[in-house]
Amino acid sequence: MAAARRLKRVVASQPGFLNFKSSSESLSGRRKRVNKNKKKSWNKHSDINDVEEFLEDVRLQERTTGGLLAEKSDDSLFFLDVGQPKRAERKAAEPIEGKKRKGKTPRPLRIDLILQQDSLIPAPKDVLAYQQPNAKKLRRISQKAEQLAAKGVVTRRQKRLLSRRPVTKEAKKSDTEANNNPNRDYYDIWGQEQSTVKDSAEDWYLQQTGKKRVKRPEKLSDRPSVLPAVEVIAPGGSYNPDFFSHQALLKEAHEVEVKKQKEEDKLERQLAVNKDDTATEETVIREQVEGLVEEEEEEDEEEAAHDEEDEDAEGGSSLAKKKTERQRKREKADKIKELRRLDSKRQMDHRQQLFQLRSIKASIKQQEQSTEDKQKIRKANQEAEKSQPRRLGKLKFQAQDLEVQLSDELAGSLRQLKPEGSVLKDRFKSLQKRNLIEPRERAKFKRRHKLKYVEKRAFRAIT
Amino acid sequence: MGGLQKKKYERGSVTNYITRNKARKKLRLSLPDFRRLCILKGIYPHEPKHKKKVNKGSTAPRTFYLIKDIRFLLHEPIVGKFRDYKVFVRKLKKAYGKTEWSAVERLRENKPTYKLDHIIKERYPSFIDALRDIDDALCMCFLFSTFARTGKCHVQTIQLCRRLTVEWMNYVVAARALRKVFISIKGIYYQAEVMGQLITWLVPYQFSHDHPTDVDYRVMATFTELYTTLLGFINFRLYHSLNLLYPPKKLSALSASLARMVSSAEEEEAQLDQFPVEGEDMEKLEAREREQKEQEAQKKLFDGLKFFLNREVPRESLAFVIRCFGGEVSWDKSVCIGSTYEVTEETITHHIVDRPNASTQYINRYYIQPQWVYDCINAKIVLPVEDYFLGVTLPPHLSPFVEEKEGDYMPPEKVKIMALQRGEKPEQEDEEEEDEDEDEEEEEDDNDDEEEDEEEDEEESEEKNLKKMEKQRSQGKSLQVKVTPGKMKVENPERLEQEEKAEEKRLAIMMMKKKEKYLYDKIMFGKKRKIREANKLTAKRKAHDDAEKANKKKTRK
Repeated sequence: MAAARRLKRVVASQPGFLNFKSSSESLSGRRKRVNKNKKKSWNKHSDINDVEEFLEDVRLQERTTGGLLAEKSDDSLFFLDVGQPKRAERKAAEPIEGKKRKGKTPRPLRIDLILQQDSLIPAPKDVLAYQQPNAKKLRRISQKAEQLAAKGVVTRRQKRLLSRRPVTKEAKKSDTEANNNPNRDYYDIWGQEQSTVKDSAEDWYLQQTGKKRVKRPEKLSDRPSVLPAVEVIAPGGSYNPDFFSHQALLKEAHEVEVKKQKEEDKLERQLAVNKDDTATEETVIREQVEGLVEEEEEEDEEEAAHDEEDEDAEGGSSLAKKKTERQRKREKADKIKELRRLDSKRQMDHRQQLFQLRSIKASIKQQEQSTEDKQKIRKANQEAEKSQPRRLGKLKFQAQDLEVQLSDELAGSLRQLKPEGSVLKDRFKSLQKRNLIEPRERAKFKRRHKLKYVEKRAFRAIT
Repeated sequence: MGGLQKKKYERGSVTNYITRNKARKKLRLSLPDFRRLCILKGIYPHEPKHKKKVNKGSTAPRTFYLIKDIRFLLHEPIVGKFRDYKVFVRKLKKAYGKTEWSAVERLRENKPTYKLDHIIKERYPSFIDALRDIDDALCMCFLFSTFARTGKCHVQTIQLCRRLTVEWMNYVVAARALRKVFISIKGIYYQAEVMGQLITWLVPYQFSHDHPTDVDYRVMATFTELYTTLLGFINFRLYHSLNLLYPPKKLSALSASLARMVSSAEEEEAQLDQFPVEGEDMEKLEAREREQKEQEAQKKLFDGLKFFLNREVPRESLAFVIRCFGGEVSWDKSVCIGSTYEVTEETITHHIVDRPNASTQYINRYYIQPQWVYDCINAKIVLPVEDYFLGVTLPPHLSPFVEEKEGDYMPPEKVKIMALQRGEKPEQEDEEEEDEDEDEEEEEDDNDDEEEDEEEDEEESEEKNLKKMEKQRSQGKSLQVKVTPGKMKVENPERLEQEEKAEEKRLAIMMMKKKEKYLYDKIMFGKKRKIREANKLTAKRKAHDDAEKANKKKTRK
């Protein structure tokens, strides 16, 4: 309120400002008598601008120059201009003002410069910051404690503090005893003294319980595969390979790719539809009309079929006659003759075999040879199968791709080498190849309950 | 029809096998637990010979286990631990659900754990059995130690693997057991000989990691569990065999001072055992002695040499490999702890750099690329450094795991190395000499031919001779051993001996029976074919090299 009044006053004191009341009152010259005993009225009706100006001026001087200008010495305010200053002074002045600083301290940030105090009068001390509510009491207590300590007296509280044991955090039992504890201990598991000790332990066990320890089946110590654990890559797989071995490796990879391509082509061929086989209108009509048109040809066919049937019927009637005795006797004689003939033939064969010994031998040898060959082939196949991965489960073993770098991917130096293939995958596949684990693929996410799809009401309204 | 009739599928092979699900139910375990148990105990599924019989008439693919194995599993104490763990998980879930945090704490502290020591003892009753299976264990441990320590697999497992692999490498360094190294695109293959066993393992590169999604991590983690235990025990035993303290202190960067350990190892191996085995020829004995001497020489390959590794070379691999052969190694202090000396050391003999140009400051040391170290180890001698200077096209890194037989193609680099091994002077086979006239080129080509012939002569002389003789015999001409002038100049006295041998051989051939001759022809044909192929390949290689030379000339001009 006082400020508003002051503003009015200032405004009114501007030259050329016309007031409502002023024009009428200035003529009368009679001013109303105001009481300035109270603060409120004194503030309203007194003009302190001149004093304020003076005080502001003084404060400005103190802020900017650190004291009243009138009290300063002449040398601090004025200097004698003697012309161009010397080079050395200039050089000293420039580096600080220049934009590039060759020194190590970086230029201060503009925001820091803005926020710095630029008044030469220091800010007043904040007393509240130094005040402590219980300062006297605390000081008294600490002094007493010092005095007691100087004397050598230990208070009850201190005694209890000292007697308390420090907290030692023990490592978790589960961590230290775990199998993969990084600091675990190893001992001599194949030590010599174990054998005798073990026997006595086993005797004791047998005596007490009447049971023997279970032995490990011997077949378990057989290796499931003859392949070595680590198969070194072909010499073409070196990071800086020899030309021919690299080509050989590329050729192998190429052959694998060719095989794959052939299989794909085969599938495509099998699935391909021959354009000629597609039904055209002609063939469709022919199919539909089959059996309906061209009756002349059909009649000829029927007649031919008829004749054959008649013949068959006649032949059939001849079989129905009974056999006469003569025929039966003849049949018997024939049979006996036949038997005799066969007998003589057999005997002749036996005799002739003597002369055929050589060829018989030859044929026997040939048979033996062929069986031997077959046996060898079978054995070779069995041996080859041993090095193949066995089929141990639902999935077949998929060999991994050959690790090969193309000629333009080869790095000239160890630094630029980009590794090919992943050793993790290689080890995993090697375990499968050696029949240690069955080939597995990643478990798919199977939903327990089928998802239900429901249309939103709004959507149904639209469509 | 009584009750004593034979029922189908009640005897024979059917009674030996059991399906996986039935086995699981018998053991009362869940499927992942059953799998884990089988892996730990070393029980693998079997494929029966007659699947239809075993599968009771159907051919559906099923996993079969032997019943004896499953019955053996029933006596395993770990099965109880698995069941305890299942109960623990159930209780923990309940406590979480009821937000009883004190119960959770208590349960966590008493989590059931198990140890695999007895399984190791049962599966590998002797130390040598364990050593035979260590290949797999090493590969897995090295693989896991390169994993990042995110939460995917237990961080403790990774730490344990790291510790074990460092211990193993330390042992190999102390015992000087490393024999072959091969840098491939997959990783680095090492081969060491420990107690007579050849052990090969693969170490992946540190910076390659795309975790494939179709690998079952639980299975791999179970294998690693078993293998870490196995490797730990083996390490213990190996350290004790060298009279070293286990667990070794301060192994953070393979920086342990091995001087003491090395000397003790040398003392043990100083005695060459000279037990002549009955019935062994002198030749074999001599051969063994020679081999042993070679091995001794190989072990001190880098003795006295001081190496310094630059920042961009694979530090762990090189440090391991150099130390294995007696060299001293160091690197920049800011790269890793454990560096013993700085770049500025005057006594450094070799500085290994992999950049195209180095800031060569020091005079009395060679600046070479890292392949030199590996090639030296594979060649078992200190190779000449010139081929491996910075900016030079490196010779190809050959695989030491390839054994070439007679008549197979041998790359010229390998031939050169063998020559160096035998002590011949390094040939002037530089194909990148700057000042060359065409005349000199031709002369050099001839030289190359001669040298190649010389080198291959000892191995293939007999075959070549024989080839010529057979050709001439088949043509009905009288035998004349014709020799090209180049050869004659150099090897006159040896030639006569070989001529005599060839004569004897020819006589023996003439006296063979028809059948034997037929077989012999077949064998020779096969051999000749190999030789012809090898010659073809060398010709191709030459053509390729000539073409490269021509190209280089063109680009320069």
